[in-house]
Amino acid sequence: MSKVFKNQLFLWKLCFKTCPGYMIYFLYDGFRYQGIIFLEHVLGIRYVLHCAEFQEPFWKAFLFIGIIMVINMIQIVPDGLFIHGWSYKCKPKLYKALKEKMYEKAAEIDLSCYDDPTYYNDFVLAVAEAESSIDRFLSMCNMAMQGLTIIFTTGIFYLMTDAMGILFVLASFVLRFLVSRVLNKLNYKVRIKVNPLERKRNYVSRVFYLNDYAKELRLHPNVGDALEKEFAEANDKIIEEQKKVSTKRSLLRFTNMYLVGDFIMDGLYITYLVFQAAVLKTVSYSDAVVLFNRTGSLRRGMSNIADIFPMAQENSLYIDKIRAFLDYEPKIKRLEGDKVPVGNAELSLEHVSFRYNEEADETLKDISLKVKPGEKIAIVGYNGAGKTTLIKLLMRLYDPTSGKIVYHGRDIKEYSPYEYHNRFGVVFQDYQMYGATLSENVVMEWMDKEETEKKKDGIVEALYKAGFENRYKTLDRGLDTPVTTEFDKEGINFSGGESQKIAISRAFYKNADILIMDEPSSALDPIAEYELNKAMESAAKGKTVFYISHRLSTTRDADRIILLENGRIAEEGTHESLLKQNGRYAEMWNVQAGRYKEAI
Amino acid sequence: MEEKKSSKIKRTRALKNNFFACGLLMRLCPKLVVHEGVSRFLGYFEWLFYSAFFMRYVINSLETGESFGRILTFIIIVVIVFSSMSLYDSILNGRVYPISRAVVNKGLYSKLFKKSRNVELECFENSDFYDKYTLAMEKADDRLIQTVEVVFGTVFGFIASICAFIFMFQVDKLSVLFILFPIIGNFVFNRKNSKLDYVRNKDMAPYNRRIAYINRVMYLPEYAKEMRLTNVFSLMKQHYRESIQGLSDVTQKYTKKAMINHWLYVMFTFTFIFEGLLIYGAYRTLVSQTMSLSQLAVITSMMVSTTWILIGFTDSLTNLFKNGLFIEYLRTFLEYKEKIPEDMEGADPGNTIKSIEFRDVSFSYKDKEVLSHLNMEFRGGKTYALVGHNGAGKTTLIKLLLRFYDPTEGTILLNGRDIREYDLKKYRALFATAFQDHRMFSMSVLDNVIMGENVPKEQQEQKVCDALKLSGAYDKVMSLPKGIQTTLTHEFDDEGAVLSGGEFQKIVVARAFVKECPFKIFDEPSSALDPIAEATLFDNIYESCRENTLVFISHRLSSVQNADWVYLLSEGTVKEAGTHHMLMEQNGIYADMYSKQARNYLAISEEGGVSA
Repeated sequence: MSKVFKNQLFLWKLCFKTCPGYMIYFLYDGFRYQGIIFLEHVLGIRYVLHCAEFQEPFWKAFLFIGIIMVINMIQIVPDGLFIHGWSYKCKPKLYKALKEKMYEKAAEIDLSCYDDPTYYNDFVLAVAEAESSIDRFLSMCNMAMQGLTIIFTTGIFYLMTDAMGILFVLASFVLRFLVSRVLNKLNYKVRIKVNPLERKRNYVSRVFYLNDYAKELRLHPNVGDALEKEFAEANDKIIEEQKKVSTKRSLLRFTNMYLVGDFIMDGLYITYLVFQAAVLKTVSYSDAVVLFNRTGSLRRGMSNIADIFPMAQENSLYIDKIRAFLDYEPKIKRLEGDKVPVGNAELSLEHVSFRYNEEADETLKDISLKVKPGEKIAIVGYNGAGKTTLIKLLMRLYDPTSGKIVYHGRDIKEYSPYEYHNRFGVVFQDYQMYGATLSENVVMEWMDKEETEKKKDGIVEALYKAGFENRYKTLDRGLDTPVTTEFDKEGINFSGGESQKIAISRAFYKNADILIMDEPSSALDPIAEYELNKAMESAAKGKTVFYISHRLSTTRDADRIILLENGRIAEEGTHESLLKQNGRYAEMWNVQAGRYKEAI
Repeated sequence: MEEKKSSKIKRTRALKNNFFACGLLMRLCPKLVVHEGVSRFLGYFEWLFYSAFFMRYVINSLETGESFGRILTFIIIVVIVFSSMSLYDSILNGRVYPISRAVVNKGLYSKLFKKSRNVELECFENSDFYDKYTLAMEKADDRLIQTVEVVFGTVFGFIASICAFIFMFQVDKLSVLFILFPIIGNFVFNRKNSKLDYVRNKDMAPYNRRIAYINRVMYLPEYAKEMRLTNVFSLMKQHYRESIQGLSDVTQKYTKKAMINHWLYVMFTFTFIFEGLLIYGAYRTLVSQTMSLSQLAVITSMMVSTTWILIGFTDSLTNLFKNGLFIEYLRTFLEYKEKIPEDMEGADPGNTIKSIEFRDVSFSYKDKEVLSHLNMEFRGGKTYALVGHNGAGKTTLIKLLLRFYDPTEGTILLNGRDIREYDLKKYRALFATAFQDHRMFSMSVLDNVIMGENVPKEQQEQKVCDALKLSGAYDKVMSLPKGIQTTLTHEFDDEGAVLSGGEFQKIVVARAFVKECPFKIFDEPSSALDPIAEATLFDNIYESCRENTLVFISHRLSSVQNADWVYLLSEGTVKEAGTHHMLMEQNGIYADMYSKQARNYLAISEEGGVSA
């Protein structure tokens, strides 16, 4: 319970710190809204009816209502500002206060977190629910203020005019609360059963409407038939589940809505009121009218307060996820650690082993490797031999399970990862393009206009080096070209080969000490591959290079070739020495090269 | 975007669309339509009854000194009537609605699925069509039902408003005039603010779109590596901040206008009618003495319910037009005339392929010519390789061959007859294709390989294992906990397997092995494979497809040399054609490509190739 409260308090603090004035007005707004209703519909109407019933002078009624009208005219002025100005301005700020924290964290958590499905699901949920958790919290604040205001105003009015009335409202409220719980439990049970069926339904409809699957469905129409059948079955099962509970649910609803709700108020209470007014004459007619008209509002006020608890509980679950995410302490802290000494140096792995999680087998086993500055290393091997993992360890996206990696004579764990990462230029297989300008896609960093202008030549040079020159010259807006059509209709979705060149230019631009190329040419045609390799050659001068490729022609001239097999270095040496060794590498080479030889 | 197009459909069309929706729902689940109508009607009836009649009767009886017993009888009758109405409502919500919703979902989506399976592939690639189509598909069932609800809400809201006027008129003729205030409030000032909202939203949309994009970048795993290795986070953060700032700047310029409208709206809709009627009522009872207490009481409760009935009516009316737009999308899609309907009937192509011929085929995609005056022939039982630069039109050619598109000009002939004359399903059944952009379904490995092809149950396992062995995925699949019965993807099964790109590629290739058909197509089957796996795969393709006509696309030119015939595509047409040796002798584009790729394998590394 206290956790539920603490979690909401967490949001309150966050919101209040971001927009204190807005938050105070927000609370006031709940009070204002119900206060005005009370003033107008309880006090105002009652006063007029009273005047009529007891023949008070007209000016009294006129004055009373006149005052209410003036109050109304004044209080609605800030209300307009609140709804149509302030909220539009402040809500994004509130979201931002939370979201920005989460983004900072997202950029900081260990990459291994993404491999853990439970953690990742929680993370996605936390991000997805961040804004709605604030929305829910705000509406809870509003409900609480409204409920409290009603209970204080209308409640006191009841106490003063007819205290018994409160008992009716209270009885109805308590009974409904109890029945609701039974009903909610029933609904929850149905939900649990229906949810997986709905998930199935959603999956099928996604398959049918996403263009990703359109081709497959046309090639394999029978899969479509099977999916349609599954969809229909899921619906039939839903119908069955709904039927099973329908009688019980209908009766519960009837009890909840009518027997303990309308019946108590519109049947019993009204009889009681009429009895009081007509027989006992203890309540005036005008009071009876107002009392009767206000039962609904008083009941709503009470259920407002009662509804807050389940809402707070639900919200708390999400806030828990958000806070757990924010409190996560990454093992690899981006900004902590020493500066990396200037210049390139030897990079060595000492008995490095790695596994992705405790149950998994070792992906890398006892790898030792010394790489001199400026050395060109090619890593080859079968699919799944651990090549990409090795690269990830080198860049400290993961830490080795045992053993260490040394750069400039020190364990790389001692350096600040931010600094360390800056020394690397990387082209991954799965590089991404960003919805930003071309220059930003190369520099991959925020720059203001002036900076962009200053860096212009460097950016263009990097693009040219990556073989993007011809395409660049066709771009009307040059470096300002928006990449992807995400926001800009004028944006350009570059083809696979072109995007790859942009990705490569990033590595060139960075002027890093160590270049890493993870199958950069897999999607390229022979000519483009050839051009890329030439570009790489010129750019790699003086840098340490790691090159992963299945195309052995591109790796043959490396200073050293490492062949990984089942997570171990199986063979190591130059192209010639490995051929002589006549092992795995030689086998691979002959398979690939042999085919070219045959053809000549 | 959705909003922008709203101005494009006319009001009459929007109205007609609402009728269309009612008709559609009527066919899907008539019960639901009837109950929706009745329950809407009863809802308004209850509202009016309590605010106009019940109170008036009770107070009147009190004033005229009716006996308590008579009032009690009246109350008991009311209780009985409303308890049965409430029971009806409970059954609707407890039983009828939940079941009907599933019925509607089933009926509507099966219609939509049938249509989306039947339209030509181009519809999915045409972003204008696709945007509308996704809008039509999303929560279509809920929105259809909602549309019908709104129709009834509008009709009965209108009737209820009229009834409310009449009741007020009966109580006091002049008091009806006060209803003008909320009418003005709703139809003038509220409308004005809705328009402002709409313009404001439109202005905010680009910022919101950017915020949503950044959100995606921040949590999708494919961006995670770069987020850590580069400073792209600072870029995203700055864009995020700018977008938030942008939002608040945009709203600024509407605030003043909206405030004034809001003030007038609240004044007219609530304050003027309420306070006005109260003062008017007080005057009539106290000064001119022409109104009774019960009349005054009725007026005080009528004014509240009339206002809210009016608000409900105007809201329904606004939604009616909004829904008209959604239905427009749904309708456009359902009524779309397919250019290449998947269920197109025609001649039976038989089961043998003597030849497939492209005769002067041109094809333009989004006004860009992709293929131009292309001529080529595939003879039955031969092996063909398609090579060329990225973007030379190789994959497009395959898509035309499979009749995903029809040529803009020229014809494709199967055994001498235009492929457009054949039954499309039967025609396509002649081909097995492994595309590059493969998709896995959330089914077992076995089903993902068989893909619903007609393979007898008892042979399935054997055939799938054979195919997986040929494609090289067998060992990996067998290492999974449930072997070929393992479910792929995490979609439903948390234990489901997610394989690497290379493994998925092999499974897709296995699909083409399993299917028994005369023509097999492989589009870059080996791009993610290691050299040994690649070599074995190509051997297996050649080996097992000896009986078939075989076409493959590959950048690995070493795999191409064994093909019977090589087509080199450039700029959308066949530039060179012949056997490997013929093309090498020709010393053209192909020879250049080949020697560039081969150079480093053969010891003629005159430039040193690439050292990295």
